[in-house]
Amino acid sequence: MSREILERFKPLFEPRTVAVIGASARGMTFPNIFMRRIREFGFKGAIYPIHPSADAIDGLPAYRSLADTPEPVDYAFIAVPGAQIPPMLRAARGRVRYAQVISSGFGEVDEGKALQGELAAAAREGGMRLIGPNCLGMYSHRGGIVFSETWPAAAGHVGAISQSGGIGTDTVRRGITRGIRYSAVVTVGNCADLEPADFIEFYLADEETRVIGMYVESAGDGRRLFELLRDAKARKPVAILKGGRTRLGTMAAASHTGSLAGDDRAWVALSRQTGCVLVETLDEYLDTLLTFQELAPRPQRPTQRVVLFGNGGGASVLATDLFARCGLEVAPFDQDVIDALAALKLPPGTSITNPVDTPVGTLQQDDGGVAEKILEAIYGLARPQALVMHLNLSAFVGRTKADVLGNLMEIVLRVQARYPGQAHFVLVLRSDGDPDLEARKREFRARAAALGIPVYDELDNAARALKALAAHERFLSSRSVTSDR
Amino acid sequence: MDAQRLISEARKQGRAALDELAGKQLLAAFGIAVPKSLVVRDAGEAASVFAALKPPLALKVTSPDILHKSDVGGVRVGLTSSEAIVEAISEMMAVPQIASARVDGFLVEEMAPAGQEIVVGGVRDPQFGPLVMVGLGGVFVEVLADVAFRICPITRLDAGEMLDELKGAPLLRGARGRLPASRAAIVDVLLKVGGEDGLLMRHAADIQEADINPIIVSADGAVAVDARFVLTKR
Repeated sequence: MSREILERFKPLFEPRTVAVIGASARGMTFPNIFMRRIREFGFKGAIYPIHPSADAIDGLPAYRSLADTPEPVDYAFIAVPGAQIPPMLRAARGRVRYAQVISSGFGEVDEGKALQGELAAAAREGGMRLIGPNCLGMYSHRGGIVFSETWPAAAGHVGAISQSGGIGTDTVRRGITRGIRYSAVVTVGNCADLEPADFIEFYLADEETRVIGMYVESAGDGRRLFELLRDAKARKPVAILKGGRTRLGTMAAASHTGSLAGDDRAWVALSRQTGCVLVETLDEYLDTLLTFQELAPRPQRPTQRVVLFGNGGGASVLATDLFARCGLEVAPFDQDVIDALAALKLPPGTSITNPVDTPVGTLQQDDGGVAEKILEAIYGLARPQALVMHLNLSAFVGRTKADVLGNLMEIVLRVQARYPGQAHFVLVLRSDGDPDLEARKREFRARAAALGIPVYDELDNAARALKALAAHERFLSSRSVTSDR
Repeated sequence: MDAQRLISEARKQGRAALDELAGKQLLAAFGIAVPKSLVVRDAGEAASVFAALKPPLALKVTSPDILHKSDVGGVRVGLTSSEAIVEAISEMMAVPQIASARVDGFLVEEMAPAGQEIVVGGVRDPQFGPLVMVGLGGVFVEVLADVAFRICPITRLDAGEMLDELKGAPLLRGARGRLPASRAAIVDVLLKVGGEDGLLMRHAADIQEADINPIIVSADGAVAVDARFVLTKR
């Protein structure tokens, strides 16, 4: 079953031949840019520009139609005015496997609804499956295909679907900054033919994909989506960012992708029954994908008790409230932990209960080495299910010479290694927008990402991400299934 | 009567919804307890019906034109004699909204044992198909929208989680001096309505909306006291 699915989708995710319709012999259209990008990205197969009159485009021989290419086409990228497209698809006569139509002016506007029907019918007649219309393209690292200006340095394990092209771009680009690495990102637009459930089915079967993310406005065949996700038993975590959950949001969705958004109640039900995590904002979505990428769920010990450790008293008080609202406990330590921390004789101003507030002066001791003793006490005695280390970088500026931040990360990883499987570790690097500080933050974020530590901008982001992880773990636990990882 | 026949009968008569008696027969066909009831066409049949049922009794007008019976005075409870039934019928017929409606008859039924009121509903979502809902009765559903939905079919675990999701869940366990309601009985009704081979799945093509309201749940069981099934448009 899953082999059949993988075989079926292979030409899309690993095309050997790509046709491009809409590239110009002179200009710089989006299809021209697409051709340049996939060549830069390292696409190894044949590229066939299709053009009614030009003999060559960007140095590649051009062909008159999809029926005239030397080899059949695995993937066609199409961006020309909508009305021209149906005849082109019909002309393919079974020589094209997948066509992605970027052009808009279809079902998302009233006057384009009939044209969308014609487009879908033409794809069937031409013998191909259709992605779009009204989308931006796809990114498949293994296939050397990319639609965005930049792409992650390496392939990863997060498979994403976006019903919005813009959010698809954000998914790739902001993902790079956060350290998310994708197996693929597909923008699916109006879903005139292939719909979210088709790609969910692929990602569930795909061994390179371990985490699934979906921005969706309309489920299409919601029943099929529900059954797929239910039968998958959450063995791969799925984060869903649903647009159009409120009545006004639904109106915006109807004019955006031309689809009636399903009832919010149904989506909440879907998440409860399938273990998918429903998130509310783009930040929460990406933070959740990052979390699932880095942290293996622990259904046998669902995340509940959290220790906050870092500099910033007020920030940790606010965070304690927010974690509580997310169903996570930042509870004061028992006496044995307090005694152990008191024995360290930390400088005044250091709080030795949870949240553990350690001003920069404290963290500087032994160039950060003091943290090892603090964390040893926390891991050994308090045994939390998650440790959130938060560092307000502005407080470190001009006050530390040694690589205190780097040392802190190393220390945490050492302590983690002594208590395997005990606590999820996440890092919050807080900055204030100052350009120099942002530069240092980027550098540390990259170092943390290389070590497999998820990094968030604020404690709020960490709270929501851990909430998603906890929900997933609790679902697995309630259904007595073990995670794939 | 066989469940599919109840629906096709109603369709044959051009009805948009099942009447209360047919609705309860549908529930009974799925093993959900409903009060014992009989239909009278008019006051003349009251005495024979009274003899066949165990008082106190409830009386309800049956009309395709009246959506909310109790709002127009079409429901009377606690009737303990055939004279009381006769009197209640003539009082109802004096209400303008009832007098002007097409009245099929009156449902006379035994009253459920005391308990807590809950609501179980269903709706056909255009994308996801049948959904099942549960909530506590009265203001909890109508004002606070304290309800939980699931996509059908639900499992026993889903049904239990639906109840735990309700803000008013402690009330079912007997908080604030309420009579404790049988959780097992509610789960059982939810499975019969929304489960694998339940009513909503079996008749997904025919049922647009379902409203089983109220269901009276005591410590021992649950009885569906009123039910309304709106049919899909054909």
